[in-house]
Amino acid sequence: MTAVDAFPPTTDALPLDDAGLLRAEVARLTGERDALRAQMERRDVELETATRMLAARAQTMTSVIDAVTEQSIIGTDVDGVVRVWNPGAEKLLGRPRADVVRKQRITDFHLAEELAAAGGGLSALVQVALAEGRDVRDWTYVTATGEERTVSVAVTPRSDDSGEHAGWNFVGTDMTEARAAERLKDQFVSLISHELRTPLSAILGYLELVLDDPDQPLTDEQRSYLSIVERNAQRLLRLVGDLLFTAQVEAGRFTLQPEDVDLSAVLRGAEETARVAATAGGVRVDLELPAEALVVRGDAVRLGQACDNLVSNAVKFTPAGGRVTLTLRAGWQHADGRFGDRELPGTAPVVRIAVRDTGYGIPAAELDQLFTRFFRASTARRNAVKGVGLGLSITKAITTAHGGTLDVASVEGRGTTFTLTLPR
Amino acid sequence: MERAAPRVLVADDEDDIRGLVRLAVRRAGCTVVAEVADGLAALDAARTAVPDLAVLDVSMPGATGLEVCAALRADADLSGIRVLLLSAGASADDVARGLAAGADSYLAKPFSVAGLVTRVRELAAGGTA
Repeated sequence: MTAVDAFPPTTDALPLDDAGLLRAEVARLTGERDALRAQMERRDVELETATRMLAARAQTMTSVIDAVTEQSIIGTDVDGVVRVWNPGAEKLLGRPRADVVRKQRITDFHLAEELAAAGGGLSALVQVALAEGRDVRDWTYVTATGEERTVSVAVTPRSDDSGEHAGWNFVGTDMTEARAAERLKDQFVSLISHELRTPLSAILGYLELVLDDPDQPLTDEQRSYLSIVERNAQRLLRLVGDLLFTAQVEAGRFTLQPEDVDLSAVLRGAEETARVAATAGGVRVDLELPAEALVVRGDAVRLGQACDNLVSNAVKFTPAGGRVTLTLRAGWQHADGRFGDRELPGTAPVVRIAVRDTGYGIPAAELDQLFTRFFRASTARRNAVKGVGLGLSITKAITTAHGGTLDVASVEGRGTTFTLTLPR
Repeated sequence: MERAAPRVLVADDEDDIRGLVRLAVRRAGCTVVAEVADGLAALDAARTAVPDLAVLDVSMPGATGLEVCAALRADADLSGIRVLLLSAGASADDVARGLAAGADSYLAKPFSVAGLVTRVRELAAGGTA
């Protein structure tokens, strides 16, 4: 007997009690059915609302993407076939959406030689984003008219609604003019720096002749005036050197001359260089050096320059009565940057140069920008500390070129510590 | 008989710098046999005077100091002339380029006069500095 057969068509033939039970059951089922129907209607409304919201959201996304006219937003599937092509991409590459979507690949718009040099194909474009989740670098796009544009492209992977990898996003900003301007600026700085060195050579050379002429000794007053001229010419020369060096770093033309460098000697040299300014400013400079020599492979001149910059900054940032301490220590560095005295698994041998001062300090909000060229801390401006904001960017570039790191910790009003860590 | 003073050619397009070099050469006990302001004139002077030492600026009109140096090295009659390059380029690459062109020594501007005197004296005596 089936479940359907169990329910007779009417209740007339049934005993009264059974008919009552059946009616009650029918009433219960009718209630359940009505409740289910009501629930279904609610779900219908919810589904409709959700669909409308989703459509609205998609419309919002599309309108936002379509509103971007100065950046190209190109979305592809996993094979690099274009699926999204915004007006910014149309403008940059000169191709309408209809000609591209589902018809062309992202690689079709890249300079073939550049792509081949990077390993070729889509993988050259996405390999870093695949490993790190994001990649931003300059690529050369080729427009419909064959023009090459330098574009800073941010590549990110895209997932579908179930979290599966669905393709790639390429958001590009045309940097052609900006990069050309940077190159021009660097060439200009190189040229000017070069040209400035020649008159400075004459000034310093003839000053040397006058100051060191045993046949015609100067009066103390004359010597003092000419020493001021010489000091300022040297300052100008350093500034020219810093500008030239910064331009070289920016242009990627900065090379090291590696040799064995005794860091104790470098720090002693930095202390000696800063001594005159420290004495004049009433700042005490202490050296804490290890008994044994600490030798690293590096460019002695550049490491000297880096230490000179740190020590001279510390002295300039410290008011009279303050103190600057230079320490040099060998140790072991963990992957997370912690420093220790003993070798442990996963540690690497390093040397640490710390330059600690009891000076004005740097506001916490400015620490991130400290290594940007021409940046000057507000405490430097407020306390009339001289400088143009190149020293720390140069020091950072030198440290990085040596495979090292430069860290800063500072408390405004209490002082600053710069820590330069180098592999040994 | 007293030994003749080493003979030096000075080439720089800046009058003031040439003046400093001339002075340093004399202080080093040498004689300036020719003073010129461009690279081609430096080559001519080298062929005419055949000095012991040529002090050449790198950035000169006509031919650069590097080109003059390379031309001297390529000429069998002149290849024995010692060369000191002076340059406003102070980077390691600049020095490497100078030495690759065959220079015996390289001095970046600005130089100390005393340092130049020492360098000229050593080179004129036949050494490398």
